[in-house]
Amino acid sequence: MYSTVFSGALQGVSAYLVSVEVDIANGLPAFLMVGSLGMEVKESRERVTVALKNVGLNMPPRRVTVNLSPADRRKEGTAFDLPIAVGILESMGMIPRGAADGILFLGELGLNGELKKARGVLPIVQAAAAGGIGQCIVPGVNAREAAVVPGMRVWEAGNILDILHFLLADPGERESMLSSVSVDTGALFMRAGDRENGGRPDFGEVTGQESARRAAEIAAAGFHNLLMVGPPGAGKSMIAKRIPGILPPLTLEESLEVTSVVSVAGLMGEGEALVTERPFRSPHHTISQAALIGGSIVPRPGMISLAHRGVLFLDELPEFQRIALDALRQPLEDRSVHISRVGGNVTYPSDFMLVCAMNPCPCGFYPDKNRCRCSRTQIGKYMGKVSGPILDRIDLCVELQSVEYASLRNGTKGESSADIRRRVEQARQIQKDRFQGTRYRFNGDIEASAIECYCMLREAEQRCMERLYTSLQLSARAYHRILRVARTIADLDEAEYIGTEHLMEAACYRPSLEYWSQGER
Amino acid sequence: MENKEREKMYACWLCSFPDIGSRQLHRLSEVCGGPEGVYLADRKKWREVLSEAQAERLKEYTGKWSLEEKYYEMLEEGIALVTFGEEGYPKRLRDIPDAPYCVFVRGRLPSEELPAVAVIGARECSEYGRYVAGELGAALGKLGAVVVSGMAKGIDGISQTAALEAGGFSLGVLGSGVDICYPAQNRRLYDQLAEKGALVSTYPSGTPARPHNFPPRNRIVSGMADAVVVVEARIKSGTLITVDMALEQGREVYVVPGRVTDRLSDGCNRLIRQGAGVFLNPESLFEEILQMGENKKKNIIKHKNVHKTSPEQKKEKAVPEHLSEELAQVYGVLDFSPKTLDEIGQALGGRYKEKQIISFVMQLCMEELALQISPGHFCLRG
Repeated sequence: MYSTVFSGALQGVSAYLVSVEVDIANGLPAFLMVGSLGMEVKESRERVTVALKNVGLNMPPRRVTVNLSPADRRKEGTAFDLPIAVGILESMGMIPRGAADGILFLGELGLNGELKKARGVLPIVQAAAAGGIGQCIVPGVNAREAAVVPGMRVWEAGNILDILHFLLADPGERESMLSSVSVDTGALFMRAGDRENGGRPDFGEVTGQESARRAAEIAAAGFHNLLMVGPPGAGKSMIAKRIPGILPPLTLEESLEVTSVVSVAGLMGEGEALVTERPFRSPHHTISQAALIGGSIVPRPGMISLAHRGVLFLDELPEFQRIALDALRQPLEDRSVHISRVGGNVTYPSDFMLVCAMNPCPCGFYPDKNRCRCSRTQIGKYMGKVSGPILDRIDLCVELQSVEYASLRNGTKGESSADIRRRVEQARQIQKDRFQGTRYRFNGDIEASAIECYCMLREAEQRCMERLYTSLQLSARAYHRILRVARTIADLDEAEYIGTEHLMEAACYRPSLEYWSQGER
Repeated sequence: MENKEREKMYACWLCSFPDIGSRQLHRLSEVCGGPEGVYLADRKKWREVLSEAQAERLKEYTGKWSLEEKYYEMLEEGIALVTFGEEGYPKRLRDIPDAPYCVFVRGRLPSEELPAVAVIGARECSEYGRYVAGELGAALGKLGAVVVSGMAKGIDGISQTAALEAGGFSLGVLGSGVDICYPAQNRRLYDQLAEKGALVSTYPSGTPARPHNFPPRNRIVSGMADAVVVVEARIKSGTLITVDMALEQGREVYVVPGRVTDRLSDGCNRLIRQGAGVFLNPESLFEEILQMGENKKKNIIKHKNVHKTSPEQKKEKAVPEHLSEELAQVYGVLDFSPKTLDEIGQALGGRYKEKQIISFVMQLCMEELALQISPGHFCLRG
């Protein structure tokens, strides 16, 4: 007998509906599975057979055929266990025909029939909702994640037997069989807002380092990438960790994007509904290119996608593998990353703010000649590890000084993250108005061709910029960067036009390799 | 072929033999009666000076050498050879202990009448060293003194470049063959020296720069000069080897004093303590050198109207003219050691906010008075 049950599969961070077709026919006893299946999907055969047996439902000794349609797209993951099992039950006549119609099934089966966590629940349920499916049955740990999708009735299940009873019951009595889960996203965000003040690290804890705080504020306001240079222990990571806190809180739309990526990567916490805080990812410098960008044989999101809408912090920048860093160029440009593998072509979002930290030289004390004894060649080599194209995509560079004991003890507390965030939000609002109807969102996005239009200079400033250009020996790229950053600084000042003081400050924060090659001047 | 030319051809052969010390060269030439004599002498004669192994190698080397071809090759590259016995041999070198038997020269050697000053110092110099070396080199160049140095990175190259740019004469003493530019970054200086100054080496052309070549090279640097000025040196520095050589050769040693907190001036300050002369400004240095070589003095074309600008004077003068009051204040706070924005702010008495200070120093950078040496450090432009 033939039956069809709905499930879903992932494609990048989006998903598509899969119909699981099961047929049980006379013939030599066999269990066949077709439909471009990955290893773990094929293994599902054993899990389903044993799980059914262990809850007392023996499979008939007949020819069972399972097809996952569309059959030409490769399918991965263990979430097909449950729909296959349900399909078999229906084909066996254990549940009435049509009882499983209009329900999406997701979940991995344990050998005892228990339901286990699935990957990518949010995007799949979203796809199902879009496809007109109104109900879904998912493992308990994923239920809240699925419940975020509006218009979807979510049932949480712990065991295949519970699901059998649920499907056997009349529609009216079903509610007593499985509990339905709902999530109030508004409340969720409210709670996140409360927690932010207490839980997150705050800028108030950073003493001194005025320039670095200022640069972080500018970077956050204009969505510029930031490079921090300073001796070990100056507080580079400390500041980086606090940057998500001065970015405006996630909107629901952004939160859904972030949650999708995290869910696809299988990193959602148990019972977690939505990621409500801006991601902060800080991979170790030994990270491989595939782990950073995304990849492996079956593409998975990399660190840059996990940092989507948040901050990617690369500490000890020159220590990263060159190929890994170079691979960052395209995602930084396109704000998304395209990965092509045998397993298929996928696109992951990667709209992150890049924050990097490094020592100024191998020993960390340059340009203090009393302590630094690195030769030009050594410094050159160290800097050479950071590829120019990456530096080209960084708008701001700031140096941190090692903190003296006195300022640690007597240091007045700095401004709190909340105060800084207010200014950042204000500046972002100005940008939002300015870029209305364009494809830009922030000053950091402005392309060279549009600089003239958005970063217009008045006559005095034009003259000032000309002099800066010659005296600092700027390149065209550096010139554009200074203008972009100056625009953000002006926005923070709520100034309509860029002033000379804005240009000066932006010029001071310009990243440049020239600092490290002064010996050859 | 002229007799002299022949002699040179043989000298080229002898001096290009890598496996022999300067002292042995002198003796060998003496025993056999000049390079040609050496070439024609038999092995037994060689053995009077050389060891068995050396003689063996010299024989092998001679077998591969083609006298005329190699000599003209050298001339074509614009390299000349001056041996100890010749008239053109630098007089100052003749006096030093263990004088080299010959020197290879590219360019033309300066007149012996001109006073010569060796300017030496650290390769990784500070902005202060860069400033002093530049000013000193330029002043000496203008005054008509020869700046002798090793064409290395840092102080050496800076002073020589400045001297040439000021229209003066400079002499580069290399630790490699004169046809090799080491360090490669100083290519421009190398070309200028070959054209307008002179490059000198005791090593035959083609010799690569090897670490052990440099201490003997330093001996020539001080040997070619009347006085040596040390601009910046750490306590353990190759520069101090040159100073030792200079003292051995009886050259005056002057030292640019530095702050006791600067590690890059430790070597200098220690030399002062040991009794070295203190360098104050190029003019007084020049006077003292002239007085030293009393007999040379009359031959010097006196430069009248010499610009008397010591570093201090220049700084005081440059400040006020076109700068606003605030900028002048900030300028006054800056010096040649890198300062952070915080330090500048504190030196100004905390009157200004960080934003304002950034604006001030960047304006100074724009005026090319200050330099942003790293993202957060500023100093005066040297």
